[in-house]
Amino acid sequence: MATRPNALLLKFPGTNADEETARALREVGFETRTVPITRVTVEDFADTQLGVLSGGFSYGDYVMAARFAQLEIERRLGDTLTTFRDKGGHLLGICNGFQTLMRLGILPPGSLVDNVSERFVCKWVPLEKKVSDSPFLHTLPEGFELPIAHGEGRLVTKDPADAETYMKDGLAALTYGEDVNGSYQQIASLQDTQRRVLGLMPHPERFIYREQHYDRDWQQAEHGWGYYLFQSIYQTVTA
Amino acid sequence: MSPPKQTYRHIEVRSLDGDALERLSNDMKLSLSREDMIEVQKYFNEANREPTDVELEVIAQTWSEHCKHRIFGALIQHEVDGVKETVDGLFKTHIKEVTEGIWKNKPDFILGAFVDNAGFVRLDDKVAVCLKVETHNHPSAIEPYAGANTGLGGVIRDILGAGKGAKPVASLDVFCFGSLNTKSEDIKADDVLHPLGIMRGVVRGVRDYGNRMGIPTVSGAIQFDPAYIYNPLVFCGTAGTIPIGDIEKEVLPGHKIVAVGGRTGKDGLHGATFSSASLTTDSHEEDQQAVQIGNPIEEKKACDFVLEARDRGLIGFITDCGAGGFSSAAGEMLSVTGGELYLENAPLKEPGLVSWEIFLSESQERMVLAVDEKHLPKLKELADTYETEAVVLGHADGSGILKVWHEGELVVELDCSKLHEAPRQTRHSKWTTPSFRDDVSLEGSTADLFKKVLGDFAVVSREPIIREYDHEVQGNTFLKPLGGATGDAPQDGSVIHIDGSKPMMSMALSLLPEWGKTAPYEMGLACVDECVRQLVICGADPKRLALLDNFCMGNPDDETELGCLVETTKGMAEAATFYQAPFVSGKDSFYNFFETEDGPISVPVTLVISGLGIIDDRKQVVGSSLRHDGSALFVIGKMDTELGGSVAARVSGITDARVPKCDLEANLARYENLYNALQQGLVAAAHDVSEGGLITAIAEMAFSMKVGLEIDTFFSKEQLFAETPGCIVVEVESTEVDDFKALFGEDAQQIGKTTSAHKKLVIADQIEEDLTSLKERWQHGLTPYY
Repeated sequence: MATRPNALLLKFPGTNADEETARALREVGFETRTVPITRVTVEDFADTQLGVLSGGFSYGDYVMAARFAQLEIERRLGDTLTTFRDKGGHLLGICNGFQTLMRLGILPPGSLVDNVSERFVCKWVPLEKKVSDSPFLHTLPEGFELPIAHGEGRLVTKDPADAETYMKDGLAALTYGEDVNGSYQQIASLQDTQRRVLGLMPHPERFIYREQHYDRDWQQAEHGWGYYLFQSIYQTVTA
Repeated sequence: MSPPKQTYRHIEVRSLDGDALERLSNDMKLSLSREDMIEVQKYFNEANREPTDVELEVIAQTWSEHCKHRIFGALIQHEVDGVKETVDGLFKTHIKEVTEGIWKNKPDFILGAFVDNAGFVRLDDKVAVCLKVETHNHPSAIEPYAGANTGLGGVIRDILGAGKGAKPVASLDVFCFGSLNTKSEDIKADDVLHPLGIMRGVVRGVRDYGNRMGIPTVSGAIQFDPAYIYNPLVFCGTAGTIPIGDIEKEVLPGHKIVAVGGRTGKDGLHGATFSSASLTTDSHEEDQQAVQIGNPIEEKKACDFVLEARDRGLIGFITDCGAGGFSSAAGEMLSVTGGELYLENAPLKEPGLVSWEIFLSESQERMVLAVDEKHLPKLKELADTYETEAVVLGHADGSGILKVWHEGELVVELDCSKLHEAPRQTRHSKWTTPSFRDDVSLEGSTADLFKKVLGDFAVVSREPIIREYDHEVQGNTFLKPLGGATGDAPQDGSVIHIDGSKPMMSMALSLLPEWGKTAPYEMGLACVDECVRQLVICGADPKRLALLDNFCMGNPDDETELGCLVETTKGMAEAATFYQAPFVSGKDSFYNFFETEDGPISVPVTLVISGLGIIDDRKQVVGSSLRHDGSALFVIGKMDTELGGSVAARVSGITDARVPKCDLEANLARYENLYNALQQGLVAAAHDVSEGGLITAIAEMAFSMKVGLEIDTFFSKEQLFAETPGCIVVEVESTEVDDFKALFGEDAQQIGKTTSAHKKLVIADQIEEDLTSLKERWQHGLTPYY
């Protein structure tokens, strides 16, 4: 049997969704290692196929979401993440992890700012897949559902036209089926031009098992929709 | 070099008379009574010296109501309707002995109660679950955001300090506020915050701590009553899991005492003693420093540290710094062995704190550990990993004496055995059953009354608040606070999957303060009954439940108020004994009264019963929302017509109705039957009849918007709106109806069916309304206020 691919999860003070994210990764076949930012080194990426930034409130998100996480990654790891990607590695950022990838500039330019409601919102939302070339999404259908839980998930770009360009250029990977936070173009997820990095606000790790759905009678698929996101990237890195 | 600043002082007590002792207590804000001060004087007479200010502060907080629960320990001469009885301690008689009796019958299930930070019950062979609920009322009245923030932060630490460190997995919160549309001119005191401001601050405080910690806030309740305007109540609870082998903990002589987490500052001085007195307008000005400031990330770091240290076997004993700070945490740890602490070792937020401030500060996010010296290097390394601080404060030494040093001076030297002996109080209480009217009936049409009830603050959806709590983090919220086909219909409790275990945990809670105003004994019965009922509806085995009792009341020096409390505890004990559902933890809060321009206003005696239950199989979790077309709808239990305590009575201005009967025997048999029915897969959905009565329960089930409902059984208006304990509405698929009927016999009444022909609620001869408009009214009742 082939060895299982390795996923490396970075953990900051305030990262709080790393355990269920690791569980989801293991469920589809990854080996996982969660390393606090104080202990992570460049060498940790050598044998890693997937780098993961999980959800939470890194350093409290008191300044701007993920600002300190960005600074700490830059201070401790320099451009390791970019190099890792350029050499063929994949990166996934969920919620606070998406915010971190945006601040690091690994994803197309833009910001995740306060929801228009100025409130934290925890609910399940419909999502639409807008790309066919994402290594994270190919086993998912065109429309599906995942929970969101964030206060700063509104994707904005310097010029609103940039967001339109992201839609046209296949950088906007997922959009919300309804306006949940005021994101331009209702964008819920972005990928990089190399198609190896995905950031998304919704939480796939919270919908791995069918019974995690709010409706006891949900049976649209064998697993929860989030499972298929992790399964897609598993298939990609083991292909 | 200038001589070091004096960090403590001696205080003359031995020469003082009673009046002077009392004055000293007041001047130092010790909240100690004259009798207490005389005991203190005796101790120092025997020691043949004067106490230091640090020692007096330590004794004051140790003996405070907040820490010692002296009213629950008091000898009470009680009188009910002219009949006298003696209560040899409310805690001992109506809580501890109840649990001890049940414990004998369930030695394998109950794994700990009362001694640790939280009680433990068995989930499976390897894992135990625990629950703790605390109140943070006074701080939330003064600083709603910070008060509720640290209220949740504090109870999370209770769980972290339970056993050798339990993992927090879910939180609950219960709030009692004045009505949100209270007119400002109706608030009869200066500087009292409007209920709207309190609610918004409190909700955000809970949100920002819970969300940042990554602990889902999954259960809750809000009550509104004008009596809560001056004293809002805020209950925060957290559940945890722990390997069974990590429950037992011990401090051994030679252990190092290690402080972990946040630094110590001037915030939160006198919190315990402040909480043990009533609020006044002056409190809003003077007691600001008693309210602590929360930093959830500091606690998250400590949490990550503690759980890993536990798993690596580095912890001998652990407890949290709550009320009383180091003095009570270290005091508890060293109460048997004795030991020495060095205050200069404590990392400070700011320089210049004197001895008692360091020792008593209630700065947040601190844990205290007792560890084997050889583990210190590993613990330091782990602290660096998680960017938190771990410093050695002192050690345990087997002397039985607590010695505290500061900059080379001995500032405390107390005999631990004597330190924890407060004089016992004797109190008097009295309850007189009020007279009730026998011919109470409801006016107006069912439809009109129902719309009023459905839009009442007591009933409307809590969705705007629930959505601000991350109730899905950790990915284990199996039954969510809002569910059904559209994900926004109410459920009776929540169910949490525990990683690595097949059984799951249900959580539920009940409070019925309206009942207590006229029928406190029945309130005690009904709160336990409702919590048990909800846990079973969520799928839990009625033989494996654990309860917590949390009390808040006004002035215990008032005989009638105390009498109401006594009756409540009697009812609660009776029901818990009957259901064999043990109390594994609890807490009480007194002096929730306020001197207004119109005189003192007390909160009604408020009992919150919360609980957890064990669910063997996830198939037993069906939720409370209608699921199928053509199902039969049943009511199990007999609908009473008594309207006391109901929302319908309150919106109709009825105050002299009897509360409905709580028939423990019939209810328990029904819950056991329901559990069987759930195990056999006979139940599609089940919902508890509670606030708003039968009609509200039926409508709420239909708010999943899958099907319409046709009820063809005749119910009187009173039966539709009475809040009879023990009644449950059940959806049964047509194929299961015969088996269901066979199981329940006469206790089940088939009342109607679900239909896909329309989306209406139809009750023959009473009401025919579109579900959409009913749901709209229910769902958006809070929206304008939050």
